[in-house]
Amino acid sequence: MKKVFSVLLALCLLLVPLSGCKQAGEKYNAYYFEYFDTVSIVTGYAESKEAFDAVCAEIEAELKEYHRLYTIYNGFEGVNNLKTVNAVTDGAHSEVQVDRKVIDLLLFAKEMYRETDGLVNVAMGSVLKLWHVYRNEGIDDPAAAQLPPMEKLKDAAKHTDIDKVIIDEENGTVFLADPKMSLDVGAIAKGYAVEQIARHLEEKGITGYLLNVGGNVRAVGTFGEKPWNVGIENPDKENEDVPHIEFLHLTNEAVITSGVYQRYYYVDGEKYHHIIDPETLMPGSNFMSVSVLAEDSGVGDAFSTALFLMNYEDGLKLIEETENVEAMWVMPDGEQRYSSGFKAYTYVP
Amino acid sequence: MIGARNVKPSTDGKRKTRNDMILAAVLLLVAAASFLLWHFSRAEGESVTVKVGGTETAVYPLSEDREVEIIGGEDNEYRNVVVIRDGKVSVSEANCPDGICVKTRSASRAGESIVCLPHKLVIEVTGEKSEPGLDMTA
Ligand SMILES: [Zn+2]
Repeated sequence: MKKVFSVLLALCLLLVPLSGCKQAGEKYNAYYFEYFDTVSIVTGYAESKEAFDAVCAEIEAELKEYHRLYTIYNGFEGVNNLKTVNAVTDGAHSEVQVDRKVIDLLLFAKEMYRETDGLVNVAMGSVLKLWHVYRNEGIDDPAAAQLPPMEKLKDAAKHTDIDKVIIDEENGTVFLADPKMSLDVGAIAKGYAVEQIARHLEEKGITGYLLNVGGNVRAVGTFGEKPWNVGIENPDKENEDVPHIEFLHLTNEAVITSGVYQRYYYVDGEKYHHIIDPETLMPGSNFMSVSVLAEDSGVGDAFSTALFLMNYEDGLKLIEETENVEAMWVMPDGEQRYSSGFKAYTYVP
Repeated sequence: MIGARNVKPSTDGKRKTRNDMILAAVLLLVAAASFLLWHFSRAEGESVTVKVGGTETAVYPLSEDREVEIIGGEDNEYRNVVVIRDGKVSVSEANCPDGICVKTRSASRAGESIVCLPHKLVIEVTGEKSEPGLDMTA
């Protein structure tokens, strides 16, 4: 009997140090570089590396599929994607048979166009293409960097009518009714894809994962009671001492930041970033960054772009009128402003 | 857990045998050792993990200053220089086309990372799993 008691005692003593770790699972990270021209990170709690890898394989397969369908830059054999939709033969676009996932993205895009009063417009491809070309040239050869000429931009802007994106749900086809127009889904595709992948995991009962595709962060449940700790990047990149300006606890939400620091180039010492206002056809200049917390990562992605291009008052009004979205604005002087429900998610580390 | 030790006192009234005493002493020692091990492994703090193409290639303590050249790519054409100094890690030089890894601010807290997308390189600060740290940056 005493032996049994001693062994029990020993087990208890041995367990004391281990009880410092409250959670049974381990945290793992996986990185992907091939999708959406950005880095994707999967963080998850799992019982074992094998269990984590199995979930990651599923996530990667989905990522790959969405990437192949939504890219406007690459073609894939046997796949009709947005590059196929954008293609022009004999001076016109063709009616293209596409996967249901493409139809759904474009329907969502039209919904976001309405919700944001046209600030998020996937039919702005002609304008964004110009910026894309001039930015890449400017990055490759900074001394010769130039802005796209306003005349060219204005010309391109004549071909951005989203109503000319003709979606035939029944037949599963998409047709661009203006030969000079093209799609660019950069402002919504990553967020939308992340949301669909998150829902896929939720349907399978998988929980305890945090997805991040190019800054579109979405939590898919927690592991145990502990929420995820997500930092919001300081848009002032020069400030080495303060890498994060806010900290959020997430359990099932998404957070997305649009900022001046993410994609940019310099022309004559001036910085020009990638979020283009459909009105002025120039980069928006109201904020250093805008972060949106949302239940739906696709909505969050669209709203972060829209809010970035609105003035603070209009943006705040839009957020307060819309359910399940909150926002934080970083003003040009660094001041942080919040919508009414944002602070409920923040913590002090 | 602690209370369980007192639940079952020696009810038979006899003195503990010598073997039991030795056993108890040994077990106490084991427990103390494991506690110390846990304590010091925690105190060691963060480390820097280098991953190339998703595979972990090296781990360095964040507390030791060093400079490491990381060569990758099929023909060894990718080059990044990683510097660990004063408890911070950064990329000081790289021949990637975008140079974003060099522009990324240094990382020092568990959960922070620096990524070089063209070179498929990740420099990650990792900490003890019992520490809250940061899971992601948006
Ligand atoms: Zn790099």
